[in-house]
Amino acid sequence: MKTLSGALLGALLMAGAGSAAAQQLTPSPTLDAIKARGHLECGVHLGLPGFSFANDKGEWSGLDVDYCRALAAAVLGDATKVKFTPTSVQQRWPVLQSGQVDVLSRNTTITFSRNASLGVDFQGINFYEGQTFIVRTAAGAKEPKDLDGATVCVAAGSTEEKNAADWFRERNMKVTIVNFQKNDDAITAYDSGRCDAYTAGVGALAGQRIKLKAPNDNLIMTQLISKDPQGPVTRYGDERFQAVVRWVLNGMITAEELGVTSANVDEMKTKSQSAEVRRLLGVDGGFGAMLGLPDDWMYKAIKQVGNYGESYERTVGQGSPLKLARGYNQLWNKGGLLFSPSFQ
Amino acid sequence: MLRRLLYDAKIRDAIYQVALIAGLVALSVWFVRNASQNLVNAGIASGFDFLWRQSGIDVPFVLTNYTAQSRIIDLMWVGVVNTLLVTFLAIVGATALGFVLGLARLSPHWLLARVAGAYVEAVRNIPLLFFVLFWYFGVIAALPAPRQSISVFSLAFLNNRGLTIPTPVDGYAFRIAALASLAALVAAWIASRSAGRQRDRTGEARFGWLAPTLAIGAPCVFFVVASLSSIWDVPALRGFNYRGGFVLIPEFVALLAALVTYTAAFIAEIVRGGVEAVPKGQSEAANALGLTATQRLRLVVIPQALRVMIPPMTNQYLNVLKNSSFGAAIAFPELVSVFMGSALNNTGQAIEIIAITLALYLAISLAVAAFMNWYNNRIRLVTR
Repeated sequence: MKTLSGALLGALLMAGAGSAAAQQLTPSPTLDAIKARGHLECGVHLGLPGFSFANDKGEWSGLDVDYCRALAAAVLGDATKVKFTPTSVQQRWPVLQSGQVDVLSRNTTITFSRNASLGVDFQGINFYEGQTFIVRTAAGAKEPKDLDGATVCVAAGSTEEKNAADWFRERNMKVTIVNFQKNDDAITAYDSGRCDAYTAGVGALAGQRIKLKAPNDNLIMTQLISKDPQGPVTRYGDERFQAVVRWVLNGMITAEELGVTSANVDEMKTKSQSAEVRRLLGVDGGFGAMLGLPDDWMYKAIKQVGNYGESYERTVGQGSPLKLARGYNQLWNKGGLLFSPSFQ
Repeated sequence: MLRRLLYDAKIRDAIYQVALIAGLVALSVWFVRNASQNLVNAGIASGFDFLWRQSGIDVPFVLTNYTAQSRIIDLMWVGVVNTLLVTFLAIVGATALGFVLGLARLSPHWLLARVAGAYVEAVRNIPLLFFVLFWYFGVIAALPAPRQSISVFSLAFLNNRGLTIPTPVDGYAFRIAALASLAALVAAWIASRSAGRQRDRTGEARFGWLAPTLAIGAPCVFFVVASLSSIWDVPALRGFNYRGGFVLIPEFVALLAALVTYTAAFIAEIVRGGVEAVPKGQSEAANALGLTATQRLRLVVIPQALRVMIPPMTNQYLNVLKNSSFGAAIAFPELVSVFMGSALNNTGQAIEIIAITLALYLAISLAVAAFMNWYNNRIRLVTR
């Protein structure tokens, strides 16, 4: 009895001493695991040029890949310390739920039912996507409403599968939808003439078109039939890691807004008088420490990967074969929808 | 007293078995509870309520009255029906082709035997997935686009969207015809039995023509009448493709062809094994009686070979059922594709859906096995 009360007293004292000293961090098993194993586990697409695509040397590139690299740079200080796990439409949820990957960065649309019933949280938007169709130019269809009677290939289990069914049904259009287990199978079947159209997001279609036999004989429609915001996904629990995931993305967007690029980040770090730049780059504020990261977390991420705009132009924008305009994925003050909460 | 119970072999065995079963039950209960607790902790939905939610998924090949507004359980049923359909047709086709190949391999004709042998050896050593993809992309590549469709008397059209055939607007006449044909078949069976009995008794076959007429002629007449009295929905080219009628999709054709050509090679070997298991003396005896080659095969060799062939054949039939899940690789909407693919991804309830799928395959397999066992018992050599 004596020893038990003694132990209790000791524990109370220790807890008090702890809170009196440096700020106590909520435990984050995911961050601890990443640091212990020395690399980030990131779930990506099986192969979608512009978003996540491995070249013949096995090097991954793309907008979603860049996000994971920035996250690795922020957490581990090195953007190369990422292991990419390619996942199909179906595999992506189990690999995230089971803890095989720390984060999923894979053209994944944010939806209510996924958030509510799959045990996953969406940590922001890194690509504003909208669904449309790719058709052969020779077919003469210009808009989705021209597709009455057509056969449409789609990846089973994607949001596009249901969107397309709903959209055509609401308009009383008779369209045959053929559901493939993988995006690649669906696009191959479209290319071999099984379907008149393939449906996916505009960005994804731009990436897939490169893989077709004759890319220029195919037209990506401009009218969108849905809005599909996409961003990094984590599983329920571990709020501190979720905050890191969320704020690395916010940091990349904020960096673009503040004019911080991979080229000028060193100069900005030493010379900038802007309070927000100084907090972002870890000169003031000690923001990194609040999340249990080094203070130069965003400095490392921007230095090694770049801000959101740099990443966008390099992977899907003008510096890439996709040549997607910024569109909705432009900063809010330049006519787009990117609006990051502030670093305060 | 207790000692005596423990030393009684019967009671001891009973105790062991009860303990084993109790242990297994406890283990499964623990697995289920552990899994559901973990699912709740991870925030993943569980339970079977999802089956009654609207599915929202369009399926290109439906024999039931399923639409995208139906429930998920109806989607599952679409998968079951499509699986059963392709399995049944593949079993029939593979058995027929397998018999031909197996007998060809035994034929004294050198070239025929070698060709059949080469086919069997090649096919048995190629993975099934290759067959499925080969047939699928081969079929699509070989068929023309809708505008260049191959037309069959302007009624049916074959293109890379499938074979579009006319359907009756109202199936009433055909349902009546089917029932009438069934009645004719029953009548034919009775007629053939009584004709057989009369032949046994009197030695003369008087109404031998009656049974075949009833079995083949009557259904033909009924269906011709039904087709003439129905209004038909004939497919017509409008826009992208033919509208109206029923579409037999290329995925179905490719999967069926792959299953038939693949399984036939295994069945051919079973047939060859079965025939070779019949002692040579039986053939020689048949020859001595002056039976022709066909009669020898039909009346002497095959009935005896069947007894050897049924058990391994059951295995192959069950394989066809399980292999039909390869349809998922080419978007044929069978059980794995629609239920474990589309439905699972829309609901995220992996454990429930996989458990249901397992149970369904198990139930169908056991039903097929039960039927084959019944047949096996029926044709077994009756020893007196």
